[in-house]
Amino acid sequence: MDTAPASPARPRLRAAWAVPVTAVVAVAAAFAAPPLLASADSAGLPEVSAAELLDRVAAAEPQALSGTVVHTARLGLPELSLTQATGADPVSLLSGSTTLRVWTDGESRSRVSLLGTASEYSVVTDATQAWTYSSSDDEVVHYALSPQDAARAQDLAATATPPADLPSPDELGREALARAEKDATVGVDAVTTVAGRDAYQVVVTPRSTTTLVGRVVVAVDAATWTPLRVQVWSNDDAATPALEVGFTDVTFADPGEAVLTFSAPPGAEVREVTVPLPDAAAHAAAADAAQGLPADPGAMTAPEGVTVSGSGWDTVVEFTDVDVAALLTGDPSALGDDPRAHGPIGGEGAQALAEDFMPEGDGPGVELDAGALYDQLTTPVEGGRALTSTLLSVLVLDDGRVLVGAVPVDALRAAADA
Amino acid sequence: MSPGETAAAEPRPVPAGRPDAAPDAPARYPGAAGRLVRSELRLVLRRRRNVVLLVGLAFVPLLLGVVLRLAQDAGLAGQGPPFVASVTGNGLFLVVASLFLCTPFLLPLTIGIASGDAIAGEASAGTLRYLLVVPVARGRLLAVKALGALTFAAAAVLAIAVVGLVAGAVLFGVGDLTLLSGDTVPLGDGVLRVAGVVAYVGLSMTGLVAVGLFFSTLTEVPVGAMAATVVVAVVSSVLDQLPQVAVIHPALLTHHWFDFAEMLRIVPSVDVLAQGLAVQAGWVVVFGTLAWARFTTADVTS
Amino acid sequence: MTTPAGATATAAAPASAPAVPQAGAVGDDAIRTHGLTKRFRTGQVAVDRVDLHVPRGAVYGFLGPNGSGKTTTIRMLLGLVAPTAGEVHLLGSPMPREAGRVLPRVGALVEGPAFQPYLSGRANLARLDAVDASTDPRTARARSDAALDRVGLGAAADKRYRQYSLGMKQRLGLAAALLRPRDLLVLDEPTNGLDPQGTREVRHLVRELADAGTTVLVSSHLLAEIEQVCTHVGIMGGGRLLLQGPRADLTARRAAHVMVRTAPADVDAAVVELRRLGLADVTVEQGVVDGGVTVVASDAADDGRDRPAPQDVAAALVRAGVGLLAFDVRRPSLEQVFVELTGEGFDVAR
Repeated sequence: MDTAPASPARPRLRAAWAVPVTAVVAVAAAFAAPPLLASADSAGLPEVSAAELLDRVAAAEPQALSGTVVHTARLGLPELSLTQATGADPVSLLSGSTTLRVWTDGESRSRVSLLGTASEYSVVTDATQAWTYSSSDDEVVHYALSPQDAARAQDLAATATPPADLPSPDELGREALARAEKDATVGVDAVTTVAGRDAYQVVVTPRSTTTLVGRVVVAVDAATWTPLRVQVWSNDDAATPALEVGFTDVTFADPGEAVLTFSAPPGAEVREVTVPLPDAAAHAAAADAAQGLPADPGAMTAPEGVTVSGSGWDTVVEFTDVDVAALLTGDPSALGDDPRAHGPIGGEGAQALAEDFMPEGDGPGVELDAGALYDQLTTPVEGGRALTSTLLSVLVLDDGRVLVGAVPVDALRAAADA
Repeated sequence: MSPGETAAAEPRPVPAGRPDAAPDAPARYPGAAGRLVRSELRLVLRRRRNVVLLVGLAFVPLLLGVVLRLAQDAGLAGQGPPFVASVTGNGLFLVVASLFLCTPFLLPLTIGIASGDAIAGEASAGTLRYLLVVPVARGRLLAVKALGALTFAAAAVLAIAVVGLVAGAVLFGVGDLTLLSGDTVPLGDGVLRVAGVVAYVGLSMTGLVAVGLFFSTLTEVPVGAMAATVVVAVVSSVLDQLPQVAVIHPALLTHHWFDFAEMLRIVPSVDVLAQGLAVQAGWVVVFGTLAWARFTTADVTS
Repeated sequence: MTTPAGATATAAAPASAPAVPQAGAVGDDAIRTHGLTKRFRTGQVAVDRVDLHVPRGAVYGFLGPNGSGKTTTIRMLLGLVAPTAGEVHLLGSPMPREAGRVLPRVGALVEGPAFQPYLSGRANLARLDAVDASTDPRTARARSDAALDRVGLGAAADKRYRQYSLGMKQRLGLAAALLRPRDLLVLDEPTNGLDPQGTREVRHLVRELADAGTTVLVSSHLLAEIEQVCTHVGIMGGGRLLLQGPRADLTARRAAHVMVRTAPADVDAAVVELRRLGLADVTVEQGVVDGGVTVVASDAADDGRDRPAPQDVAAALVRAGVGLLAFDVRRPSLEQVFVELTGEGFDVAR
């Protein structure tokens, strides 16, 4: 029996409230701890020189893998309020963070899915054909070679690059490093951790002072020499990369048959697009590029309607006779033959960007909001409209010419006037 | 009889109307907890207001199904929010589409009403004091109330799902399920995946139930607790839209609610689903213990 | 509020327990509190150092105006409100620590009945019964039926509580308190809302329960309703227990009002004799009414001297040659005591 007349209620009160306080601390710790633990030190990795790293990456077999990729763009574009509503759409890659799932068998087959809230945009590539599927409008696009081209492709034992693509760090990184030594200096940065794996970092710094690109940093898995993350830094912002594509989670194993095959769902509208196989010269250049040899854009036969000027990081690509108005209404033919636009043009960073930026003529969201988006993104300039971002500029002239390059708009204008 | 009672002056005749002998040391009857739970569930599920709420929710898939059925020849097929467009092709999607439409507001509203009312309703009716002097331990009563609110949340989600499934099957038929990635899985697999969606949506509401329960212990005005609970869900959704506070997004109550779509991707990511459920568990732990601390120490003055 | 002079009576009351209550004493009481205090967060002291003492078998009238702290005290007794200081023992066990063991033996009606309005009376009782882990589920129906019959609600058992009249609601509250045999009943304002017939029935019920050995604490702001059934009384005022004890003692201890009517000629003799007997405040009222003069006095209480019994006063007056036309000794009613203590009447909302 209590002899003290003071009630036992007060200490009990304090004891009871200690429980939720403890719970808050425990929950906060449980959510905060894993990322902290994950950044464990990567000490113990042998030192590797930049050249050796490049050789290793070039020599490494592409790995079968499945993983989650986060793509973050801080391009300094106007806020894209429309992308929220349209679901999974490649246009969302232009700003903010986007999550993608990647599966590849390391050879010719892969699947990349861009995830939206309750929606998905998938690209399934299988050697000579590719499928894109957008869940938002249930539309399938099937890209395939014509029968003759398919036969030729088999003879060449090469893969035709499917025109539809979504960024994936391993491909982008490999591509970036393949031509790294051209027009740039290559160095090694501190060892880091990406997706829980130890990784070396290669820093590619363009020699050009005109380009908007400050440097490209590629993190390479120390075990498989697979690029795990690509960061493109602008000259404008030294604090955060303007573009970052990296795995947040990766498993090196064959993803299995189910995810690498695609058959159009019943009832879905399938649009067939026949892709012409590039002619022999372009193909050779592409093959060279794929093998990691420096490709000289000047030596390439540019497709009709496309002019390339400048070199390396300062490359400016000029398209003529582009009907912007028609493009905005969703007519894919307006860009000429859009697959050609994806040819290996420009410097590595510029090309990766160009691929992200080029309107996918069939982009599912495009027909809905392209006009508004276009007005939002571009600013009127003398003789046309210009898009400026931290990494890339686009100049759309009223005479139907479109100039694209990883250089300031002024440089584009100079190229246009030349 | 205790010694104190024998000291009472007169013998105690047992008056008429007493069915059993005077108990001295009250025993716990086995199954007493089950009896308490059953009583609470009867109260929750038979209450007219709650039944009306459930029927209201059940009307969503029914109305949606009928509207889509009537409009399917009008050339508007294939348009609308995610999943809605797919309903006419496969009735299974009526379940998913209805859940998709109810998750942002209707479901939180319904669940906010039920969980906010849990303790505050009893306090406001004055019945709380009579329950406590029966007696029942406050922690036990809170647990039973939480169970009642959770059961109601489950019933709300199931009302949408079951009516959606039946209406979808009747109006559109069911068949192989086309996933978000465009791949098609057999009906059996599809039903399992939709069941997974329903389970995930149900579990996603547990955090909100805990929040509602906590607010319910703070006040004797049930409407206040209900409104506060719904406001938490709405504010969480709004914050989730603001890129300026992106750093707190993963911890928001509503941030992972739509991850149920993961069940309809070609390879559902266990990590994503687990992350969503872990966040709910975090909210449940924090607000559950807050509710416990508040309720076990508060003065009952209603 | 200043402490009235009469509060010194409390000091003599048995409630002023020693600082450390003895175990034996606690066990003998159905309710015992020591230094019970409740200070709300607003700073208002609702209950101030109350030492309640309710012997087993007593019918304890817990009186006081509205707002005097009765209900808060009752809430603390039942573990609904945590005391700021002090302790409570119910049926010998400390509260709220042993609430689970003690409360099944305690029936309570706190601040009016309260039930789920959309359930029937029977369903409401069944719910309370289901909450009680110590009752046999097989006899639940029999228990609620018996309780309903006992308060005369058998016929309205299946009506929704919402449709009950105020009196029926009050009866259902009593039924809940009587759902199982109790050793202690705490009834807060049990006659609220009842008509005179209902009030009589409640009184009858309380008496019946008390006869069966149940201790009853019944609070009211209407003294007259419960005065007749109480064996003990405690009076609250301003959060303090002003007075408590056996009802007979409380009034017997108070000064009686002695009235003597005699012929005008005998007045002086009467005054002298009354003073000699030790009575105080002897006053002669002015005027002759019906041939007699009234002399009043008070048998001064609490001055340590033995007080003369009324028959001794009458005999002494006769012996002194006073011709008595009328003789009357009146003890004050509880209400008069209360007014004297608090300076307030009943039914005063503070």
